[in-house]
Amino acid sequence: MEPAVLMRVSNLVKHYGDVHAVDDVSFSVPKAEVFTLLGPNGAGKTTTLEILEGIREADSGSIEIFGQQLRHIDRATKERIGVLLQEGNFEPYLKVREVLRLFASFFRSPRSPDEMLRAISLEEKANALVKTLSGGQKQRLAIGVALINDPELVFLDEPTTGLDPQARRNIWSIVSGLTASGKTIILTTHYMEEAETLSQRVCIMDHGKVIAQGSPRELTARLGQETIIDFVAAEDSVLPEALSSCCKIVRGEGGLVSVKTNDLVATLGRLLDWSRASGVPLAEMAVRQPNLEDVFLSLTGRRLRT
Amino acid sequence: MRGIFHLARAYLVIALRERLTLFWFLVFPLFLLALLAAIFGNVGQTTSLTFDIAVVNLDQGRAGRVDFGALVAGAFRELSQPGASGKEPLFKLHEPGSGDVDTAAYLASEIEALKVGKRDAVVEIPAGFSDALLKAAEASTGSALPAEIGVHTSGGRTSSDMALGIIEQVLVRVDRHILTQLGLFDGARVVVVGRQEVGSENRTLGYVDFLLPGVVIMGFFVAGLFSVPGTILLGREDRILRAYWVTPLDVPRFLAGFSLGHLGLCTLQFACVWLLGRFAFGAHVNLFQPLPMLYLVLSVVTFLALGFLVAALARTANAGMAIANIVNMPMMFLGGLFYPTGSVPPALRVIMMANPVTYLADGLRASVGVSPALFPVAASLGVPCAWIVGCAIVASLRLKWDVGR
Repeated sequence: MEPAVLMRVSNLVKHYGDVHAVDDVSFSVPKAEVFTLLGPNGAGKTTTLEILEGIREADSGSIEIFGQQLRHIDRATKERIGVLLQEGNFEPYLKVREVLRLFASFFRSPRSPDEMLRAISLEEKANALVKTLSGGQKQRLAIGVALINDPELVFLDEPTTGLDPQARRNIWSIVSGLTASGKTIILTTHYMEEAETLSQRVCIMDHGKVIAQGSPRELTARLGQETIIDFVAAEDSVLPEALSSCCKIVRGEGGLVSVKTNDLVATLGRLLDWSRASGVPLAEMAVRQPNLEDVFLSLTGRRLRT
Repeated sequence: MRGIFHLARAYLVIALRERLTLFWFLVFPLFLLALLAAIFGNVGQTTSLTFDIAVVNLDQGRAGRVDFGALVAGAFRELSQPGASGKEPLFKLHEPGSGDVDTAAYLASEIEALKVGKRDAVVEIPAGFSDALLKAAEASTGSALPAEIGVHTSGGRTSSDMALGIIEQVLVRVDRHILTQLGLFDGARVVVVGRQEVGSENRTLGYVDFLLPGVVIMGFFVAGLFSVPGTILLGREDRILRAYWVTPLDVPRFLAGFSLGHLGLCTLQFACVWLLGRFAFGAHVNLFQPLPMLYLVLSVVTFLALGFLVAALARTANAGMAIANIVNMPMMFLGGLFYPTGSVPPALRVIMMANPVTYLADGLRASVGVSPALFPVAASLGVPCAWIVGCAIVASLRLKWDVGR
């Protein structure tokens, strides 16, 4: 049975002069899932999200949310959504608890600020000024603010950008907790690993357009049964011709070479022979299954983080 | 409503925690009041003022002889004409008009005006003044003529005291003229000037009383001009405001909360300045009356609107501060906050006359009786209101509440 749809976006368009920031974007967000908009910087993810959050207005297209067709995101809808902005900030001279209290006062039925402090593990920082928080703590506070109204739908716009790995994993843990409690989440990220770890459904965007949609498994399955061998070699090194005939080879930045093959054993043998004969070491060699980065690469010819 | 009050509280709390804001909001006005009151506390504030006086001539003269009462009144009339180079006249003169049949009633009304600070002095030429002078001349005896001119002053008010000194000098000259006419000139014989202090609601007002309303308005002015665009533009640039726009809080509610917080902060600022003026420098000016309070609230709103205008005209916070700095100096120093506007050079009068600070400062001071009103109440209230409307229109058309919105 198809899951119930919480939000349906149809033919959304937003232009800035000649720039097509959002170009005929359509997708549906099932209830109680994490739906991720994945794409490089400038793909149109944030503009799409800002239209859905009510910060910007679309030039055309329609939005159905909570079963209602809306031209603009109205006050009643805002009572039911929570938003973590990509570059949102809070008053640096307010304390953490004061920020939560302030935002709670904007909603009809907010959660208690103290309860939220516990949920985002910032109880010890309750009386600290915002300006004294670390990047990870600020982001947890932002998530607390986004959840203060106990929303049904949560927008998380690049929630882990600029955070260290530990802080990133803390945020992932909070997001996983939200999905477990039945919240619907729309996430944007340009981290492939984040999208794969957190999402049930991914919508890949590039140049304002949707170029692929589906679950991470469905998307990677499109690449067939290929296995990928990554290694680093000198950028001017000449790979054996025999590989070109049986495999797909992509050379990336920093000498990274990705060899896609359906016959792992034979390809590995050829590579090792070539390395021995030519004296070119296969540095940092790894064998892996395709991921969303490879999906993006196969669709656009570019890597996500370029 | 809850959100509005929480926003107002947050605005207050932030201002009190941020050192720079705290300095400009509270420390600077207090420092300025203390500095000016300490340095100029004993100096009359009206050295370059045109004195607002009334001359009431109750003398009918004597048929066929010189009308000495008219002579005295004429001397004051002469000194109320502007100088050849456009120099301010010494007196702004009030005299009974042709319709004022009851001169005694006119005198009483002028004394009432003196009591509430609308006049600096009232000169009363008594009935029978000419007769008394002529009788004395005919008798040609005694060292002093029995004719007396009354000068009503408001005791303790610096401008009134200074006006009396100048009036006495004028009367000495007129006296010599009269005596010369009568052929009785004698340096020792003068027309007696009888000083009569009238009851005043502001008996002990001094320079600090003149200064205090100016510093209060200056505080509101600085707060509105710098703090409002600073908060709005930095909030926009740093995406602090954006976090509000994704909640049910809309711009009108935000404005209500912001303005309420600003009003609260200005109230706190006013309380501190007033307490310092009252208890450290002995100010007695009574600002807690309906009309002065109206001027105070109007000042807060006017400068709040001015702050929104600056925010609407600037693209960035830095540009906003630059505009505020450019506007600050002429508006503050050509608004009569620290000295009377009578001394402003004619070339700068245009700025002064368009400046809402001028009207608010003048209206507030006149309403508490520390100086005579230069403008009618309608102008003192109307010009700032026009500024509020103008600023609100421009801000509503131009002010962007979010980056790229």
